[in-house]
Amino acid sequence: MRFAFKELPGTSGYYLRPAVPVTVEGIARAPQLCLLDTGALHNRFAAWVADAAGVDLTGADEERLAVGGFVTAARLASVQLTLGEVTWESPVWFCDPWPLAFHLLGQEGFFRWFDVRVRAAVYELEIEPEA
Amino acid sequence: MSQVQATIAQQQFAFDTTEVGRRLRDVLPEPLGEHYVVVAGRRFPPKQVISLMTGLDRADFNSHQARRILSRLGFTVGRRSRATPPASPARRGPHQGHEADLLRPFAGRWVAQRGLEVLVAADTPQAVLAWLERHNQHADAMFRVPGDQTEATGLAPA
Repeated sequence: MRFAFKELPGTSGYYLRPAVPVTVEGIARAPQLCLLDTGALHNRFAAWVADAAGVDLTGADEERLAVGGFVTAARLASVQLTLGEVTWESPVWFCDPWPLAFHLLGQEGFFRWFDVRVRAAVYELEIEPEA
Repeated sequence: MSQVQATIAQQQFAFDTTEVGRRLRDVLPEPLGEHYVVVAGRRFPPKQVISLMTGLDRADFNSHQARRILSRLGFTVGRRSRATPPASPARRGPHQGHEADLLRPFAGRWVAQRGLEVLVAADTPQAVLAWLERHNQHADAMFRVPGDQTEATGLAPA
């Protein structure tokens, strides 16, 4: 699967981000833009996604963490994610507040399942499921 | 402020520029067809606007009538182009910055995007999802257009 980098406007110019649209089970009409964050251990999504997808976070494991200069409360759930034609079950930490424009895909919930090639010179991602 | 009198479906109506803007303030644009009108920086289907202002069924008038009235009121009306704008080799990115240019007017808002086109923009993700459901639309991606640098760059420096 190939994905173009996302062009996001900034206060001066624009930013090019390695981000992909991931469908969360229950929100089929609106794949969520997710940044490929090789430095992140886990998938981190905004908490509103859990509400919209009908994911029950009652009694879920909870932690407070600092992400990118802000502190957020994160609750863990296992959800079905789809990228292109590939669907996998993934642990996701749903975070509130979440001020970023996108969600984050990390090692445990994403990179261990995919072979990812970042071709930044041509603003492109090549992603295939691990055999 | 402009005012226009028009006859539609054998009924007389008076339109007012300020009133159109006020009535559309909290209305989300429906999916665009070939034609659009720009009201307060957002593109609406002209027939949606005229239908909202008159209460008429959209089958009672056509797009050209709606465009003509809205144009006389001073709004910009246009026809969507399917052509990809010429690429500028001086700019970076898969779309040479064209995608960022299209998204810039929606800074700080949630959008659903198909291709490079913004289907809908709203102040909350729930409003975007409701719009997609109501209009039976599927997006390629949904996200919040960054309102500042932190929202765009996240953990990594720009």
